[in-house]
Amino acid sequence: MEYNGGSVVAMVGKGCVAIASDLRLGNQALGISSNFQKIFPITDRIYLGLPGLATDVTTLKEQFRYRVNMYTIKEEREIEPEAFAHLVSSTLYERRFGPYFIEPVMAGLTKKPSGEYRPFIAASDLIGCLNFAKDFVVAGTASSKLFGVAEGLWEPDLEPEDLFETISQTLLNAVDRDAYSGWGAIVHVITPESVITRTLKGRMD
Amino acid sequence: MAQTRSFNPYTENGGTILAISGQDFSVIAGDTRQSEGYSIQTRYAPKVFRLTDRAVLAVNGFAADGNMFVKKVKQRLEWYKHAHSKDMPLKAIARLIQTMLYAKRFFPYYVYNILGGIEEDGTGAVYSFDPVGSYEREACRAAGAAQSLVQPFLDNQIYFKNQVAAPGTTHPAHLPLPDVLSIVIDSFTSATERHIEVGDGLEVYIVLAKGRDLQDFEAIRARNVHLTQELTVTEDGERIFVMRLDLKKD
Amino acid sequence: MDSSFAITGKGYVIVAADMTAARSIVKMQSNEDKIKVLGSHLLMAFSGEPGDTVQFAEYIERNIRLAHIRNTYPLPPPSAASWIRRELADSLRSRSPYAVNLLVAGYDLPTHEPKLYWIDYLGTMAPVPFAAHGYGSYFALSLLDKYHDPEATVDEGLATLRRCIDEVSKRLIVTPGKFKVKIVDKNGVREVDF
Repeated sequence: MEYNGGSVVAMVGKGCVAIASDLRLGNQALGISSNFQKIFPITDRIYLGLPGLATDVTTLKEQFRYRVNMYTIKEEREIEPEAFAHLVSSTLYERRFGPYFIEPVMAGLTKKPSGEYRPFIAASDLIGCLNFAKDFVVAGTASSKLFGVAEGLWEPDLEPEDLFETISQTLLNAVDRDAYSGWGAIVHVITPESVITRTLKGRMD
Repeated sequence: MAQTRSFNPYTENGGTILAISGQDFSVIAGDTRQSEGYSIQTRYAPKVFRLTDRAVLAVNGFAADGNMFVKKVKQRLEWYKHAHSKDMPLKAIARLIQTMLYAKRFFPYYVYNILGGIEEDGTGAVYSFDPVGSYEREACRAAGAAQSLVQPFLDNQIYFKNQVAAPGTTHPAHLPLPDVLSIVIDSFTSATERHIEVGDGLEVYIVLAKGRDLQDFEAIRARNVHLTQELTVTEDGERIFVMRLDLKKD
Repeated sequence: MDSSFAITGKGYVIVAADMTAARSIVKMQSNEDKIKVLGSHLLMAFSGEPGDTVQFAEYIERNIRLAHIRNTYPLPPPSAASWIRRELADSLRSRSPYAVNLLVAGYDLPTHEPKLYWIDYLGTMAPVPFAAHGYGSYFALSLLDKYHDPEATVDEGLATLRRCIDEVSKRLIVTPGKFKVKIVDKNGVREVDF
């Protein structure tokens, strides 16, 4: 995790979810890029964050694009967040004894039979052990800091704008205490109507 | 083949400490769990100690070293009192702690110290130290097992990092006592939730400057009568209170 | 100990790499070209484990050429970079991985944009405005943070590159010596005297 650095956090809100990451790519202590994306859209309502070894970020991003496309073609429907979480898990477990060095975090909205949307977040370790949390999930080099701040700031049933503020403050203050994370940040808030994406202004040191 | 034996004189006993200073007060807190590895040795081992009527020291790391260090600091403060017929000022205690820690530079006390209290000019102060005596005066500091969880939260809530003040206003340099106490308690409940070495009990020492208006504090004290105890010796100087709260025990 | 740099500007990318081939403390050659021309508008600077570098660069060169012949059209820079990265990423988890670091630079004809990709031997790829590999990167990146301008003309870009190379020559214990400099823009690839 410390080779390239980087952190991701996801949170549940009221009928919405948010996922956010820093934008740093480093080579140990040397900063290479301040615009390295590690969160990717999977469907209109699922986003996947991939903090960890940067080569595996790209490889897994491509791998998941391929597998989700195959799923969509075979099933003739979009993948739901729960199914996608298990796709992530089994993809990682395939490499049980030579793993991808990635700790995925995903956020999405599940369509209920009533037509309403239910917030969904999950995280996994590098070999695919899933964690379906009800509040928030964190991963990456600043994970302990993210846990501390999120535990202090998060509350249930936040509206999209308040959830945006909560996840942004959580991420920004956590990465400012982590040498391997930072160099810019990006936040996605997923609501049933749309996805709000904002890049944040933060410390660049 | 010759066998190599080695004795490791140190261990880590978990726990977390925290101190925040205000304009005319200082709050020093620590949890009371003492552990070694996955075992809890005791659910009540104080890490925060009253040194004088205006100085409180929190010690965290290797408990045996911590207790010994506090004992020696208290002894030095007693000698000072006998020699000078007054308590040692806070900034002098801070410098004393530096020299005492650095004296053992090559066999250090494996302890992080946070000193809180009231300066001679009546302002609230927090001094934080590393195990070999580097120190600085700050507005707030967390140390110990959950430092990485608590410190960024404090950056946000005390220093207002990453927050922009409303147009035409500025962030306050010092927070009022009720706000500080809320932040301290929130910090420890959060740390307890996510860190296995933090929990059981919380001791919060509150040092109030001489002649300070006690209205805000009395309101808090009234709500927590059975939890709050006054430790002050003299009536007319600075006053020290301790609040004992429960934290989750799992 | 090789160093390579690349800078994007207004409608171009400049790529520079030192020309030294060394074995241990001995300089074997001082006129080696470490920048492959992969197509009419595509460049690749390569460095790393001696032996691996040329072998891998030639493998890439021939396969990019093959893709061009098969499909009539050349691979655009983003696609070429993606494919090259994948070769390195797959190689990393093979029995004998290549230890090669790359800077892939190109001019994307359809969008009229200069493209630059930083790629290391693990298969880490990042699109960047400027990049460097080797010991030179520790000097060049901080200079480029200050002096890089995405709207700079070719002459201004070359002046910025000059600053980087001068600094490396001044401060690195083993001076890299001469540099080969190539530019890719809408007119294609050309070499410049430096």
